[in-house]
Amino acid sequence: MRAHFSRSGFIEGVRDIAPMMLGVIPFGMVCGVGAIAAGASPVAALAMSMIMFSGAAQIVATQLLVAGAPLAVILISCLVVSLRLLMYSAAMAPYLRRLDHRWRAVLAFILTDQAFAGTVQRFRGSDDLRANASYFLGSGGLLWVTWQIATLLGIVAGQIIPASWQLDFVVPLCFLAVLAPMLRDRVSILVFAVAAIAVIVLDSMPLRLSMICGGLLGIAAGIAADKLKGRA
Amino acid sequence: MSRELTIWLLIFAVGAITYTARLSFIALFARRDMPPLLAEALKHVPVAMLTAIVVPAVVFMPADALRIDVGNVKLVAALIAGAVAWWTRSAVTTIVVGMGALWGLRYLAG
Repeated sequence: MRAHFSRSGFIEGVRDIAPMMLGVIPFGMVCGVGAIAAGASPVAALAMSMIMFSGAAQIVATQLLVAGAPLAVILISCLVVSLRLLMYSAAMAPYLRRLDHRWRAVLAFILTDQAFAGTVQRFRGSDDLRANASYFLGSGGLLWVTWQIATLLGIVAGQIIPASWQLDFVVPLCFLAVLAPMLRDRVSILVFAVAAIAVIVLDSMPLRLSMICGGLLGIAAGIAADKLKGRA
Repeated sequence: MSRELTIWLLIFAVGAITYTARLSFIALFARRDMPPLLAEALKHVPVAMLTAIVVPAVVFMPADALRIDVGNVKLVAALIAGAVAWWTRSAVTTIVVGMGALWGLRYLAG
């Protein structure tokens, strides 16, 4: 592990991801509150965050538990909401291939929406594998630790903050902060437009499959636009 | 099966699912080259997936009703925050302006 560790890269990763904690803390608290509401013991509620480590899967699992869904249905639903992780895994794979398997195993465990959004720019812009891997470890590590603390806050304190504050809106704002600056060339704007329209039109699909399908259609539009541009 | 046992089963089963999804391509393409079409597709993953996450969170009012008009305060706040993000590239500014816009608009709307 040590061969690929760069202290300065790690610290930069922690520092750059820190603003995202504004979105992660309320989200993690919601997961803690939800798990208790679904009948989990405090230890199980925390284990959920430590082992599943996915807000989407945790919320789906707890909501379906409350609704009395059979175990198989809960598992399939969690699988579907986790499909987007496949895309992140594929997108990170080329950057991580020169690392040893222990690094890959650890970095895969801390690969989340936020870790991906926060680090992909850095991986694209720099070839320094050691610094980049440590940067990812710092960002993903802080996200994991914060997720556990937020879950604990949710478990212990319950809903201190009234729902009317709509603090959950911080979650889409965090993603927006990464997304909007990427929309600087025509192809990216096209990908955005196609994904946005598709995700709205397909909203009635079950299990939030609209998210995956909307994303895939956006990607297809991007590939088609690149091909046309290459031919012109 | 007791609720507690069901929950522990779920924790490990879903944990295995999320970890497998995360590791999948990272493990698969560790030792071989990625097909060119896949590599091309991956360039567009960030914009496409972030859009697919953000858009439903702002265009739907509670109870899944689509609302694309100035009466949807979340949508207006997100547009303001998006413009700020585009100009400043700052996450903190985006979050502060976005939440401020949401609260301000709700206050104005009464």
